[in-house]
Amino acid sequence: MNRSAIVDFFKKYDFTFFGISIAIFIMGVFNLYSATHASSSSAMADLFKVQSGWFALSLVIGFGISFINPKTFFRYSYLFYIVNVILLVLVLVLGHKGMGAQRWILLGPIRLQPSEITKIAVILVLGRWYSKSYPDRELGFKELIIPAIIVMIPTILIVMEPDLGTGLLVMLIFLVVSFYRRLKWKMIGILAVMALVSGGVMYKFGLKEYQRKRIITFLNPGADARGSGYNAIQSKIAIGSGQFAGKGFLKSSQASLNYLPENHTDFVFSIFNEEHGFIGSLILISLYMILFFRYIWLAQSVPRMFDSVVAIGIMSLFFWHTFVNMGMVMGLMPIVGLPLPLMSYGGSSLVTFGICTGVATSISNARNLF
Amino acid sequence: MFGEDDLVRQHKSRADVIGNILILCFVIILARLWYLQIYQGELFYKFSLENRLRKEVIKAPRGMIFSRNSQMLIHNIPRFDAVIIPQYLKNKNVTLKRLSKVLEMSEEDIKGILKKNRGQARYRAVTIKKNITLKEVSVIETENSKMPGVRVQTFISREYRDGNVGAHLLGYISEINQRQLPKYRKRDSYDYKLGDFIGQAGIEEKFDLDLRGDDGYEFVEVDARGRMRRNLRSSVLFAGIENKEATPGNNIRLTIDRDMQLSAFKALEKKVGSAVAVDINTGEILAMVSRPAFDPTKFSRGLTKEYWDSLITNELNPLRDRTIQEHYPPGSTFKAITAIAALEEGIVKPDQELKCGPTFRLGRRVFHDWKRGGHGPTDVYKSLRRSVDVYFYQIATQLDIDKLAEYARMFGLGEKTGIPLSRETSGLIPTKEWKLKRSGEEWQLGETVSCVIGQSYVLTTPLQLAMAYAAIANGGILYRPHLIKEIFTNNGEIIKKFEPEVVSKATVDEKNLQAIRKGLYQVANHPRGTAFWYKGFGLQMAGKTGTAQVRSMTSKELFSKCEEMPYKDRNHGLFVGYAPFDNPQVAVAAVVEHGCHGSSAAVPVVRDVLTTYMKKYDAETFAKNEKKEKEEYYSFIRKRTAARKKAQEEAEAKKEADESSEEDAEE
Repeated sequence: MNRSAIVDFFKKYDFTFFGISIAIFIMGVFNLYSATHASSSSAMADLFKVQSGWFALSLVIGFGISFINPKTFFRYSYLFYIVNVILLVLVLVLGHKGMGAQRWILLGPIRLQPSEITKIAVILVLGRWYSKSYPDRELGFKELIIPAIIVMIPTILIVMEPDLGTGLLVMLIFLVVSFYRRLKWKMIGILAVMALVSGGVMYKFGLKEYQRKRIITFLNPGADARGSGYNAIQSKIAIGSGQFAGKGFLKSSQASLNYLPENHTDFVFSIFNEEHGFIGSLILISLYMILFFRYIWLAQSVPRMFDSVVAIGIMSLFFWHTFVNMGMVMGLMPIVGLPLPLMSYGGSSLVTFGICTGVATSISNARNLF
Repeated sequence: MFGEDDLVRQHKSRADVIGNILILCFVIILARLWYLQIYQGELFYKFSLENRLRKEVIKAPRGMIFSRNSQMLIHNIPRFDAVIIPQYLKNKNVTLKRLSKVLEMSEEDIKGILKKNRGQARYRAVTIKKNITLKEVSVIETENSKMPGVRVQTFISREYRDGNVGAHLLGYISEINQRQLPKYRKRDSYDYKLGDFIGQAGIEEKFDLDLRGDDGYEFVEVDARGRMRRNLRSSVLFAGIENKEATPGNNIRLTIDRDMQLSAFKALEKKVGSAVAVDINTGEILAMVSRPAFDPTKFSRGLTKEYWDSLITNELNPLRDRTIQEHYPPGSTFKAITAIAALEEGIVKPDQELKCGPTFRLGRRVFHDWKRGGHGPTDVYKSLRRSVDVYFYQIATQLDIDKLAEYARMFGLGEKTGIPLSRETSGLIPTKEWKLKRSGEEWQLGETVSCVIGQSYVLTTPLQLAMAYAAIANGGILYRPHLIKEIFTNNGEIIKKFEPEVVSKATVDEKNLQAIRKGLYQVANHPRGTAFWYKGFGLQMAGKTGTAQVRSMTSKELFSKCEEMPYKDRNHGLFVGYAPFDNPQVAVAAVVEHGCHGSSAAVPVVRDVLTTYMKKYDAETFAKNEKKEKEEYYSFIRKRTAARKKAQEEAEAKKEADESSEEDAEE
């Protein structure tokens, strides 16, 4: 490629996905610093550096992926899916335990968390199935059977770990993608009823004690003996005390006094609100909204059905993470422990979002490059 | 057909719906933020800055422990700690100076404590001084405003009514430590925190979950100085928060009899050793004491370093429960088992007499009897009554060690009894296989000769001995030691009831057991019995003395006076007895470390405990037997004095006669 070709390429390269992500990350890393700087342990206080390292890595990976032709994703989607299911089984057999659940396997120095990969694998495999199986028809009961099986296999494996949050998330992605692929309204009604019933049954029989406790805590914060209700209340105090303009950077009293546990993961949004107030949140949430609408725009401007479905899938992944996390810290939802994309501390979620951004960019570039 | 492009376009309406849903969610989040930050923002702001919502844990009162007769053994009383909450600490130097004056400790010490706890959350209380006096409490409370961050914490202290008595059995509670934290969280799936008190030994440990209860909590609003402002029960802002009352722990009724416990402890005064009393017909433990002991109350009040050091540097190890955590060679008390084996295996008949000289020769080895002159012809009764070593040496040549082990195990020796207490040791009953495994060497006949008299490898705990003798007395029924009668709530509702449990029934001919029991009776009641002079009156006691060598001795040492040897080399004194002989009720085992003789050191302990029992539960029989035994005793003494006098007179008369005959001869 000569020089002008490279310039030409980058003129056509879609930087919006990476651009917005970097903007959100920068706000996030400052916020992370604020949440942890008062911590007595130096390991905690250095988390923002670790986070930056992970982000750099996820950018490199995502950027690399953006140069792959989307047809390649299409071609290898089934293989990717099968490998992922095998990994999920391996986790159950020989996984390492953390917080009472086994979620990862060790590959040399790398701690692989297959449930993270599942999110991407399910999006790709649904994209392929929905783009090839009578893509012109509306989805009825018959058309939903095979995709449902495809999604349920990894979901059940994930719930068995147990990682209820991710399992639920995969189902929600499935719901959004199917809706986009013209799921009949009648089916939507049936599914809603089924979800309510199975939810009740799950709550009664399928949940572990701590999972049930979280739901009770949400419904009645005073009912919990050991303080998760307390966390919900402290989180609300943090958010509310930010008022319109916030207390200012590094001024969060709730964080520095350790009122909030996990304030570097699940509760970053509370700290952000305490310090930057309503106006700060408006800016942050707007950035997320711009990102989401860019995905919806992408889904409607690609020439191939696979690309379109995948774009919606990735959007829904980002959206549910964001909405559930915010809803949970604001007391609108039970505490399920989903990180806020690009804001919460955590290497594996950063890498996942980096990969997704790379895939989206690749799809966008394909409109005029490939 | 459509082109791919058209296909995508077909889905535009759905993309629009998704977009609308996104906008709806956006609006919901903003509305919620508006509500929290603008509508209620000021209120929350106030809370975050000046006011703190705090969740105060209400400690559940720990369950109490009672004796079998419902006498309280452990109860709870309130005490106070001085604490600092770092978050609220202001004017650090002034405040600490003031506090150091109130508590009479140096500023450096207080700073040191704060420094040590720097790692934990700043709203957590740091204990500065435990168990402060009421005067100190009142000073801190009145000067509260001058010492921001300093507070008094009320605490329930657990007091052990009889102090050291039965400390090992009851155990103690103390703060959970860093090492235990993860382990216990997993074990009990309960979210323990540092500062939580848990049972660390004895019944406190084993029944911790029953005794603990369930902590409650209440939400309180406190001001910036950490003082409580008001209860949040009625607050509009925190509607939905409810306080939870603490549920008291459950109470335990033991099988222990407090009077017997006290008398056993007293009988062991100035001695190192232990005693166990067990109900022969149920396996209920009536008394279980070990000395030296410790004061469990000092643990629950916050252990001082001095006291802890004094316990762990004490060579006698007061923390060890000698009734179950220590094993000893049973010495001659084991002869009852050997005798049962010998009779059952037909090696001897009860009346069959063996010739018993002063020594027994096996190859080139010579085994001594404890009595230098030997005992002469001996049947099984005499073998027990006089504890004739040579009698058992002869049996050893015909008794396979594995066979002997079988009988020992029938009576529960060499195996954990399964008493619900921690760190019980199993003791040891050797077999050929065991020896081969341990040292790779074959069993030697000479070792059997030592084992039959309870020396060499044989090791038993005092509790095992008591259970074994209870089984001998009741016809061979081996009970599981029964320690907990019932667990009941504060309202008196019984939650768990424990019934006697039979471990096994020894397959032994009752006639042979009767012969053994007769021999054991003579030990205490035959004038030549080894326990005769210490037996007391009124018990109709049967039993067996034992003297366990601490190390192997030369034949010269064997006959030197025990009391003149260094303390560490002196023999252990043992006695296991039960009473009354014709209607056995209670068996008691006592071991006095380095007490030299079973008879003089251990018999009085057993006697005192049995006497306490008989006087309390069967005073009538006791009085009747006391009279009878005293009469027998004095008539025996009179006869003996008369016989001695007569012998003396005869000797004198003979002397005189001799002298006169000599005189005659001289003449």
